[in-house]
This record gives sequence, C-alpha cells and structure tokens, in this order.
Amino acid sequence: MTDKNKKYQESFTNPIIKYGRITNLLAVLFSFVPAAVLYFVYGAFPGLTNILNGWMLIASIYGIYAIVEPISYFPILGLPGTYMSFLAGNIGNMRVPCSAIAQEAVGVKPGTKEAELVSTLGIAGSIITNIVVVTIAAVGGAALMSIFPPIVLEGFRYVSPSIFGAIFAMYASKNYKYGGFALVIVGIMLLVIKVLPPYVMIPVAVFGTVAFGFIVDGNKK
Amino acid sequence: MKDYLEIANSSFLWFSALPITLTVIIQAVIFTKRAFNSVELVDLTREDANKAFKVGAVSAIGPALGVFVVMLGLMAVIGGPLAWMRLSIIGAAPTELAAAGMAAKAMGMELTSPEYGLLEFSNAAWVMALNGGAWLLFTGLFTDKVEGLTNKIYNGDPKKVGILMIAAMCGAFAYLFGNELIKILNPETAAYAVAGISAGISMIFLERAAKKYPKLGEYNLGITMIIGMFFAVLFTKLV
Repeated sequence: MTDKNKKYQESFTNPIIKYGRITNLLAVLFSFVPAAVLYFVYGAFPGLTNILNGWMLIASIYGIYAIVEPISYFPILGLPGTYMSFLAGNIGNMRVPCSAIAQEAVGVKPGTKEAELVSTLGIAGSIITNIVVVTIAAVGGAALMSIFPPIVLEGFRYVSPSIFGAIFAMYASKNYKYGGFALVIVGIMLLVIKVLPPYVMIPVAVFGTVAFGFIVDGNKK
Repeated sequence: MKDYLEIANSSFLWFSALPITLTVIIQAVIFTKRAFNSVELVDLTREDANKAFKVGAVSAIGPALGVFVVMLGLMAVIGGPLAWMRLSIIGAAPTELAAAGMAAKAMGMELTSPEYGLLEFSNAAWVMALNGGAWLLFTGLFTDKVEGLTNKIYNGDPKKVGILMIAAMCGAFAYLFGNELIKILNPETAAYAVAGISAGISMIFLERAAKKYPKLGEYNLGITMIIGMFFAVLFTKLV
C-alpha cells in the first residue's frame, strides 16, 4: 500500500467504518424509543405475542430485503454511501440520484477515491435537505397542501418514475451495451417469467449486468 | 379525530422521535467533515467538495417534495411524530403503512377499523421498529465485510471498478425503470411509464448539453423531473 493510500485509509475509510457502525447500531436502539414511551408514559403495551406475530407477518414480505438490498446496492453506494443510505432511506429515488448528479457535476471518474468523497458529500447534502423537508411537512402538516395547486400535487405522483427513467438514461448513455442488456434481462423477468419476487430480480439485474460487463470488457486493455 | 391520534401527536412522542433523527444528522455531519479533511489526499479541491455537497442538497429538493406528499398521508394514520421519524430514516410510506397494517392484522384488526386504538397503535410502533431495524442491524454489522467481498471481485483494478459501477447502476435502474415501463400495458397506469420515458429521453439530451454548459449538469435531475411530471399529467388530461 502506498503512503497516500494508507493516509486515506486512516483519515477516511477507518473512521467511516467506526462511526458508521456506531450510528447505525445506535439507530436500531433508538427505533424503539417511541414504543417504549407509549409503554412507560401511556401504559400501552400490545403484548409480546402480538408484537412477534406482527413482525413475522411483515418480515415475511420485507425481511429478505434487509440483506439483499445492501449487497445489491453496495457497488453503487460504496462504503460511506451504504451506511448513510440505509440509515436515511430513500435510496433509489434520492440517495443514488444525488450521488450520481454530484459526481457528474464535479466530473470525477466512477469508482475512484475522488468519486467516493464526492458521492459521500452529495449524499450528505441530500440527507440534510430531506430532513428539512420532512420536518416542514411534520410541523406544517396538511395546511401546507393548500399552497400547491391540485395539478401540481397530481404531478408529484410522477416524481419517482421520472427519476428512475432519468438516472437509467444517464448511465445507459455512458454505455449503451450495459443499458440495453440490463433492460432486456429486466424485461424477460417482468414480462416472460413474471413470477420472480423483487428480492430475486434486483440482484439478478445488478450482478447479471456486472457479469456481462466483465465478460465483454473485463479483459480489454 | 380518533383518540389514539391525540397521543400519537403528543409532545412526548415528538421527543421520542428526536434521538434517531438527530443520529441521522450527526452521521451526515461526521461523514461530511471526514470527507472535507481527506480532500487533499486525493485529486480534489475544497471548491469541488463544497460543490458536491451543494449539488446533492439541491438535487434532493424535487425527490423530497415527493416524500413530503406521501408523508401527509402517513401522518393521518400514525400521527406526525412517527411519520416524521420513519421518513427521516430507512423506510418508505408504503413499507411503513404495510408494517402498521400487519401490526393491526396480528391483533385481528385493520387500520381503518373503528375500534383501532392506542393498543393497536403501540403494536405498530413495535413492528415498524423491528422491521426497519433489520436494515440498520445488517449494515451496521456487515458493511465493511461486504466491502471486503467487492474488493476481491475486482482486485483493485480501477478499470474493473469503473465497469462494476456503471454496470451496477444500469442493472439497478433498469429494474426500477422497468417496473414503471410495464405500467404502459394498463391505460390507467400508463402515465407512470410516460413520466419515466419522457424524463429518460430528456436526460440524454441534457447530458449532451451539459458537456457544453457544465453549469447545467447540476440542475439536470430537477429539469428532467419536471419534464416527466409535465408529460405524465398532460397524458392523463388528453387520454
């Protein structure tokens, strides 16, 4: 390891792992504060059986994603991005797009250390914006709805599909082969096979395209 | 308003949602500081770092407004504090509504049942915490191990890292975009596909334009989002 790499490891990577781990694990603990307040302040406790039954019902739908998503998104988010994005949520519609746009705007090469720092900062910026907006929503509540004309509120429904289309196009235009291949395997899974659950389709789409990329371009010099 | 919502919107509950939301902010601040302290070790300037943070913050305004609208719906069911907390961290409105729904179902009830009360709401608080906690626990414990695994795949070869990044982005967003595209098969949901397609096409043109006018690149996402929303709403009005 060169001296500069070692310094980077000490100044960035190691502290990110240390603080990322502490904050994400603390967040697990803090998740239970509202439930504890309902119990200790208001005496409301649903009983262990109901809690476990409810958990099993929801975990049977979403449980597997807690493992599949962090692994599938890791090549995109990187180390700091994974800690931040899985603490702050909104990965596909906000974290990844903001990281991508920040990297484009500064002009860094994907996968470099420069890109890692720019991505970290882009995601951090997006987290602050998100907190500000949801706090305004929480405090202002439904009264704020009236400042938007109904047609604009209708338009907000299409925010996510627009972002997905835009970011796909942005990366597919960097490499049409990968974009085309990815869309074809997703098309086969959605329209031909039809029965696959998302926790199978997401890793197949991500790692299938990565494998395709390595096979096609991996040995070129 | 239902009785439980009075407690669900009480100041005790607001305070109970504070620790985790502060954790999110503190983590973002620590990571930002670390990144700024490390810029001189790589080929970046402080201006680049400032720009990266600013572009991230500005680009998030559009998507955050989308979150804002669904949040208002969530607040009606689980109250302001829990909606605020759940949408500041991992979890999206549909997931949280499903978790609250399953918590009610475990007690033989539905979210819309007239008898839905404080006890059912407290079960929702437990179930949402347990469900969302799984992502936090996994990433808290294993993120560095996942990194070790990816490092093995590309062996520190920068060209392979580039392939990995671009191919992974294409794969992940082909999946997200593909799910919107197939909505074109149903006339009632076709507008979602129209939004995705028109935003995608405009992004290709904006990317080209941004090569000439780099400043434009910072606003690409916002512009394409507005174009997507515009054509989707136009489509619903015309069809």
